Amino acid sequence: MGIQKDRVRFNVGGKIFDTSATTLANAGRNSLFGAMFDENWDLQSGHSTTEHFIDRNPDYFAVLLDLLRTGELYLPSNMSEKQLYREALFYGILDHVRSAKWGPFDGNRLRLARSVTGRAPGDGTAIRAGPDGGCCVAHGSMVHVYDWMLEVHPPINLDYQRVNDAGWIDPESIVISACERFGTGDGGMGLFSASTGERRYKFHVSHENQVKSYTAGALSFSPDYKLFSSCKGRSNEYGIGVWDQVTGKQIDFFYEPPGWSLGEADKLQWLHGNNCLLVATLFPRKDNCYIGLLDFRDKSMPWSWSDVGAPITDEKRVRDAIAMEESSSVCVVNEYEDLGFMDLRRAAGSVRWSSRSRLMKGKMPDEPCYPKLALHEGQLFSSMNDSISVFRGPDWVLTSRLRRTYGGSICDFSIGGDRLFALHSEENVFDIWETPSPPII
Amino acid sequence: MNSSNQKKRNFQIEAFKHKVVVDPKYADKTWKILEHAITEIYNHNASGLSFEELYRNAYNMVLHKFGEKLYSGLVGTMTLHLQEMAKTIEAAQGNLFLEELNRKWNDHNKALQMIRDILMYMDRTFIPSNRKTPVHELGLNLWRDNVIHSSKIQTRLLDTLLELIQKERTGEIINRGLMRNIIKMLMDLGSSVYQEDFEKHFLEVSADFYRAESQDFIECCDCGDYLKKAERRLNEEIERVSLYLDSKSETKITNVVEKEMIASHMLRLVHMDNSGLVNMLIDDKYEDLGRMYNLFRRVPNGLPTIRDVMTSHLRETGKQLVTDAEKLKDPVEFVQCLLNEKDKYDKIINLAFSNDKTFQNALNSSFEYFINLNPRSPEFISLFVDEKLRKGLKGVSEEDVETILDKVMMLFRYLQEKDVFEKYYKQHLAKRLLSGKTVSDDAERSLIVKLKTECGYQFTSKLEGMFTDMKTSQDTMQGFYAAYAAELGDSPTLVVQVLTTGSWPTQPSITCNLPAEMSALCEKFRSYYLGTHTGRRLSWQTNMGTADLKAIFGKGQKHELNVSTYQMCVLMLFNSADRLSYKEIEQATEIPSSDLRRCLQSLACVKGKNVLRKEPMSKDIGEEDAFFVNDKFTSKFYKVKIGTVVAQKESEPEKQETRQRVEEDRKPQIEAAIVRIMKSRRVLDHNNIIAEVTKQLQSRFLANPGEIKKRIESLIERDFLERDSSDRRLYRYLA
Repeated sequence: MGIQKDRVRFNVGGKIFDTSATTLANAGRNSLFGAMFDENWDLQSGHSTTEHFIDRNPDYFAVLLDLLRTGELYLPSNMSEKQLYREALFYGILDHVRSAKWGPFDGNRLRLARSVTGRAPGDGTAIRAGPDGGCCVAHGSMVHVYDWMLEVHPPINLDYQRVNDAGWIDPESIVISACERFGTGDGGMGLFSASTGERRYKFHVSHENQVKSYTAGALSFSPDYKLFSSCKGRSNEYGIGVWDQVTGKQIDFFYEPPGWSLGEADKLQWLHGNNCLLVATLFPRKDNCYIGLLDFRDKSMPWSWSDVGAPITDEKRVRDAIAMEESSSVCVVNEYEDLGFMDLRRAAGSVRWSSRSRLMKGKMPDEPCYPKLALHEGQLFSSMNDSISVFRGPDWVLTSRLRRTYGGSICDFSIGGDRLFALHSEENVFDIWETPSPPII
Repeated sequence: MNSSNQKKRNFQIEAFKHKVVVDPKYADKTWKILEHAITEIYNHNASGLSFEELYRNAYNMVLHKFGEKLYSGLVGTMTLHLQEMAKTIEAAQGNLFLEELNRKWNDHNKALQMIRDILMYMDRTFIPSNRKTPVHELGLNLWRDNVIHSSKIQTRLLDTLLELIQKERTGEIINRGLMRNIIKMLMDLGSSVYQEDFEKHFLEVSADFYRAESQDFIECCDCGDYLKKAERRLNEEIERVSLYLDSKSETKITNVVEKEMIASHMLRLVHMDNSGLVNMLIDDKYEDLGRMYNLFRRVPNGLPTIRDVMTSHLRETGKQLVTDAEKLKDPVEFVQCLLNEKDKYDKIINLAFSNDKTFQNALNSSFEYFINLNPRSPEFISLFVDEKLRKGLKGVSEEDVETILDKVMMLFRYLQEKDVFEKYYKQHLAKRLLSGKTVSDDAERSLIVKLKTECGYQFTSKLEGMFTDMKTSQDTMQGFYAAYAAELGDSPTLVVQVLTTGSWPTQPSITCNLPAEMSALCEKFRSYYLGTHTGRRLSWQTNMGTADLKAIFGKGQKHELNVSTYQMCVLMLFNSADRLSYKEIEQATEIPSSDLRRCLQSLACVKGKNVLRKEPMSKDIGEEDAFFVNDKFTSKFYKVKIGTVVAQKESEPEKQETRQRVEEDRKPQIEAAIVRIMKSRRVLDHNNIIAEVTKQLQSRFLANPGEIKKRIESLIERDFLERDSSDRRLYRYLA
């Protein structure tokens, strides 16, 4: 009898499906099945033999029912992914599909899932992964937004000015920073809806109670809803601005101290444990490299490093920097993909370069891209030309390398939503790398 | 004809259009179905509805860009239904009001859940991308605006809630479940609704209530009763919060009760006649005191108020205790009173004040304050120990001994003049050791270990030296008798205790004349001792020794007399004489006259111990008196112990002398401290030297600034220091 009560019969678009209430319970309360079998709707009482009619495509229902049964997604090759997503959205189990589609991120198990050909006219400047598996790509003055299904949403622009950086505040909101157009108040920084591309608000910089036009550079976000950007104005507005993500109001400004560079910084990184912001201004934007930690509470720079005055060779030239809070160090990379380290607990001395063999030296491609660094759950990633290296362990040994021959050098990459996005510079294409779901046994 | 025309139009093929517009009538029709369903849901008539159909219809409306129509339709319909509900609630009479409100709230919640189920697709797609309020939240907001904030419900609801709470406070039974549901509803509508529509007013009304009530209580209750009532009220409010209010209200409402019932009446409670804090302390009312502590702890300045009153009471009673002339007569009783007082307050702090450190500190500082008001406290404490170690500890277990010693140490810690204690302690210890009166060697040593941990090695090194001397003397005597056993024959037994000079509190004393047989023996010992230890000097401290004599009285009564060395010398004279005058005795023995008087007094004037007879009979010894052996002496005991008449406490001149010696001993210590400080500081002004010296020495005694100044001057004279030539207040260290 118990089994009888557990049985549920659906008639989906004319095809009969028998399943169990326990399988349907996997869909959760916030799904069509959860609502349908809630006691309010009085559907399950007695009539266990009557069928429930649903006016939808039975083939996709079968795939989704299988997903509820096994937790795994298998889509026959003759069926459309897009249609599957649409059906899943109807039943309210799109999240189930998303989490079944790829596994938890592991840099050493990545597999190329797809390449997407872009539609922008110029070279890409930045690619940014969103929190739920989507991404946005900045080309010239446009930012194209893709959701996790890799559907294109309306593009974003800020007065059609050249975009310097972009970033996700949440799955629904993107901030972009752009060059100013003098005299018009155009450019600067704005917050946009990821799904509609509509602008919610613009971020302003005030100096002595006057709103100034400015060029916004690198961006960073903190978990307590602050937004940081390097700012370059016309007169005094050089430095790092701080805004509230929720209200869009400017709440602080760190003016550039003499002899240092903040306003044109290439990279900002909020260090939550230290309550500090890492600011790096690098060659070739400036002749020298400046890396410092800013403490906004007392407007101090508790840690800083620069190569001003040091003899500069290409081997010593820092091309990107990233702070690693767990080991209290800053990792830097040169144009040969050599990693170097500095201790954040001691006043900056010199870079301790690791002596990895320079495989790249001597066989540079025609159009080289300089290394970029990223850190994700203890794994360090470094892009170099057409490949991305993965490092791990106390001594940061090379554990994997991601490479693809098509598309040319990688000019930027980003990790988020358990995916890695790599943007190529020669062809207008970006790759999506995913970790496959774990093996069956 | 008409019908065929229509049919024709139905089959007409329309031209291709770029934009596919769905028939607006379709949207109206679909919405009507959904609207009808919503009405049925609100009417508890949902069983005839098809969930799948409704879900599909709502999906289609969103899919075909009628999301806005669907959403605004929902707002309109729901508003209408809620206004209907509000009317029914308003119409409810008296007590039924809350019940009706609760019933309708449950209905609305259920309906809202079902509506949300139907509109799930809109909730998931249309609402986030168009930045609308999600269905569930929308339902709550509409309920708030149309029901809770409707003019006929808002104040009535608040008044009803407050009235019920008031009823409960005055002892009536109310429907707490209903209360909980209604309050939960306000919380579900958002913390601001709960706070603005209920909590704020609740706190105000409560403050008024408790202000009035506490005024009544304080007029008619004693302190203990008042505190009981306040505690009960506080617990009631805490319980109320746990039963039907938001847990975040707990601190707010308890703050109100605390402020109105405790903080406003704190001083009046503490000082209440016949029942205030002082009375509680006197009568050891642990429960009341504990209650006061727990309640006062909740308000600012509460505990300091208790502490201050306790401290001033303690200081006052302590002062009376240590200056009470009656108590001063018996040092043991005096110290026992201090210990009792300490025990009493320790117990109060332990049982009622949860061992609060600040109270313990207040207790300690009070004791420190009044113990030192009496300059004789160090002496008395040492006497107390003396008493305990002489006989008081007999038959007491080791643990209890430790407890008593620990208590004594605690009093010792309060003393400012620890060096005075040391002086007395040394004297008393010497007497105990030499007369063999100490009951327990372990207890003695245990106390010395305690003193050592408290004051350091320096403090006890001499005391330890005394113990070493006792041990060495035993060995020496064994050696002596081993070497001279044959030679000595049946001469008297001599026991010598060799005391190291400096370790013992020796007074310069003149050696008296010993009886011939004794002095011969003493000489033998001297030559034995000096033969084994070269370079030493022995001098006899005849004022400190004892002797056991065998005596036969007139009718042949045999007794063994236990006497002091002086008494022995006197008694031995009567072996060769029947009658001796005071002068004759004095000449023969050369005992200092004050000692001789005391010694004769104890031999001739104490009833039951009078082995001598005196003429004339009187209590005091005169220079013209004559002495005889008392042939009629009888005693129940074979052994008779003849004490020396001594004041147990020091006499006035002795006291002066001890004081003087203490002062003398302090001088080098002060000088040493000055030199130590100046050596490290090189230059220091007068006030700072005084401060630092006082600080360095405070573990031993409280240095007198005048004395420090004198010592500085003395050091300047001896070229250890000099005054700065420009600033006369500065001193320099001269290496």
